[in-house]
Amino acid sequence: MIVRIAALLLTCAPALAVVAIPATVQAQDAATVQPDTPPKRGQAPKDARAYIIWPPNGAVIDGGKLWVRMGLQNFGVAPAGVRRDNTGHHHLIIDRDLPPLDEPIPNDKNHLHFGGGQTEARIELPPGTHTLQMLIGDADHVPHDPPVTSPKITITVR
Amino acid sequence: MRSLSAPFLVTAGILIGIAGGIAPGSAAERQPAPKDAYAYIGWPNDGEVVTQRFKVWLGLRNFGVAPSGIVKPNTGHHHLLIDTDLPPLDEPIPNDRKHIHLGAGQTETYLELPPGRHTIQLLMGDADHVPHDPPVMSKRITVIVR
Ligand SMILES: [Cu+2]
Ligand SMILES: [Cu+2]
Repeated sequence: MIVRIAALLLTCAPALAVVAIPATVQAQDAATVQPDTPPKRGQAPKDARAYIIWPPNGAVIDGGKLWVRMGLQNFGVAPAGVRRDNTGHHHLIIDRDLPPLDEPIPNDKNHLHFGGGQTEARIELPPGTHTLQMLIGDADHVPHDPPVTSPKITITVR
Repeated sequence: MRSLSAPFLVTAGILIGIAGGIAPGSAAERQPAPKDAYAYIGWPNDGEVVTQRFKVWLGLRNFGVAPSGIVKPNTGHHHLLIDTDLPPLDEPIPNDRKHIHLGAGQTETYLELPPGRHTIQLLMGDADHVPHDPPVMSKRITVIVR
């Protein structure tokens, strides 16, 4: 308990170095009541942005196995199921357009979920041209409003 | 033999209580991390010359990000250690200008440092800001601020 109180006090102290994204912590519990109705879309700030750090658009990959590094600005990462403002988890959309934004992102080989809060993805693609796009989803895998998404990039596997 | 068991249990209870953080000044319980989990600084590179305000990318392999306060196996939040050695690993990471907590699940940030040589290292902390066991951290890099 003493450890937890100490940790709480720590989170209250302001970080002294200049950081673009506030390092403060919302005093919100992860466990809230789940509604029966379709989940409402969580809000995202207009300047929140996802982007694919690696590979760059137009990259040619030999062998088809690659790590995708997923970047996120003005927003935070939280595992699936965690309800906290201005957070979500990464999804990588492969060879597809964005899915409907008012329902949970599909879960299949074209829509990969990183519900463990991962920020990098090991993927394997067959030879040919492929598209990659990121889309952040909330605790229930529903995109935010406005959606936090990356530009769609095209890569070639040979 | 039977008469010994009660005092033994009491002693064991006290010891468990101390290990669980009830006694003041005791070590915090550390969450396990997989051996292959590591953090790295994706940018800047070691030895990079940067301007006074520069972006830092926080990389993480075989582990996940969660905001502070979230208890979930194999996750934690990033901390930037500036111009300092690793803090003690069995207690919450300090919160001051040399130990920056990114408790909102951020995976990148901006730093502003005075001109000169500076070191940066990443260290993950759990829901309570305590490093994992083994610690999930990056190499310490040096940047030159101009
Ligand atoms: Cu998801
Ligand atoms: Cu922390």
